Amino acid sequence: MKTIGAQLVLQTAVLAIAFSGACRAEDAKASAVASKDVQAKLAYCEVCHGVSAQGFHGYYPIPRLAGQQTEYLENQLHAFTEHRRTNNIMFNVGHVLSPAMVAALAADFHDLDPKPLGGAPRGLVATGKRIFEEGIPSGNVPPCASCHGPDAKGNGPFPRLAGQVFDYVSSKLTNWDKERGQDPKNPDTSAIMEPIAHGLNEAQIKAVAAYVSYLE
Amino acid sequence: MRGFDAIRTGGKTTASSLRRIDSKPRHDRSKRRISGAVGFALPIAFLAVAFAGVCRASDANTVAVGGIQAKIAYCKDCHGPSAQGYDGYFPIPRLAGQQTEYLENQLRAFIEHRRTNNIMFNVAHALSPGMVSALAENFKGLNPRPIGGAPTQFVAQGRKIFQDGVPDANVAACAACHGPEATGSGPIPRLAGQLYPYLIKELVNWGKERGQNPTKPDTSAIMSPVAHSLNKSEIEAVAAYVSYLK
Repeated sequence: MKTIGAQLVLQTAVLAIAFSGACRAEDAKASAVASKDVQAKLAYCEVCHGVSAQGFHGYYPIPRLAGQQTEYLENQLHAFTEHRRTNNIMFNVGHVLSPAMVAALAADFHDLDPKPLGGAPRGLVATGKRIFEEGIPSGNVPPCASCHGPDAKGNGPFPRLAGQVFDYVSSKLTNWDKERGQDPKNPDTSAIMEPIAHGLNEAQIKAVAAYVSYLE
Repeated sequence: MRGFDAIRTGGKTTASSLRRIDSKPRHDRSKRRISGAVGFALPIAFLAVAFAGVCRASDANTVAVGGIQAKIAYCKDCHGPSAQGYDGYFPIPRLAGQQTEYLENQLRAFIEHRRTNNIMFNVAHALSPGMVSALAENFKGLNPRPIGGAPTQFVAQGRKIFQDGVPDANVAACAACHGPEATGSGPIPRLAGQLYPYLIKELVNWGKERGQNPTKPDTSAIMSPVAHSLNKSEIEAVAAYVSYLK
């Protein structure tokens, strides 16, 4: 019964991807880029971000893009090119993308829904769930759920965290103010997370990263 | 698509899914392949059996020290006295400093005909799992100087491709997976100090040498579009750059 269910889901997913592709060709935003160019660029992104954009352990942990909020994805690509977010590789990647290509890529990644990569220590999940849902009031850490949503799916500029790669989330929270909001003349939404990342200790970061990494 | 998902979860999942798919028919096919090339394979097979006998005498997973030393000496006949690589009739890759997971994956890939190389099929076929791990560990610990010899005028362009990729041509930055110093990570190989002609040969022939067993897709699929997108002069440049890295 379970197998039949899984097959059905898979077939539906394949159909969904096939149909969404067909619709997107007529989408107004993406119309400025040829579909074959978008497909080639997607394949290029997926070399590092995983074949279904589920994230990948390269030399660095490379984040999941699948199911990500389009607004967040677009913001981040701009952040790389404007040196608000430091990452030399992603600066070069983002630098050559037209606005229409950025929109088309973000829409495509948003629609993908592969299983999480997994691999985080299971023992940390329970603590992580509590931090995610309740925060750490004594440490002035608000519940993550209040902005990222109870399912960690994110919303607009707030990123989806569900299924995000464990060591990617850990490394972002640990290095927040060294990587984000790096252009004082051009402050951005990353400032919201700064005191929160600062308020979490290493064990709490790992716990919350483990919890969200398993969410589908 | 699902097969690839398993691949992209990294080496551990890949290894376990490969083990799961292991089946008798494949083993039978391997045997036929040996008898087909028996004239060529025989001397190597004798050597291999002789060495394998030493380690099998004890246990499949623990290998006698003498057995390891003899096998390392055998590998170095072709891969160079410090495993720094050797420009033989074919360019023979550097194994020194290589990631253990990558080395083990490749030895399995030869055996399972995922990676085509008749000589290495025969070499790997005789190795016990314990020997494979011991060899990989040993090569990882070596750190000889690169053998060099690549055209130095390509190095600057190669460095740029390695660190930044060629975003306009959809070539991903090598550094993202192989690391800024090309040391690799887990299933992703070290490229630092690798032989210039070997790298060119691999990148040019990627789709003909790697991922050759459709029933067993592997991590080589990740490199396939990258190798395909690089033109010849870009391949030469990036190969020259990494060949000099220590």
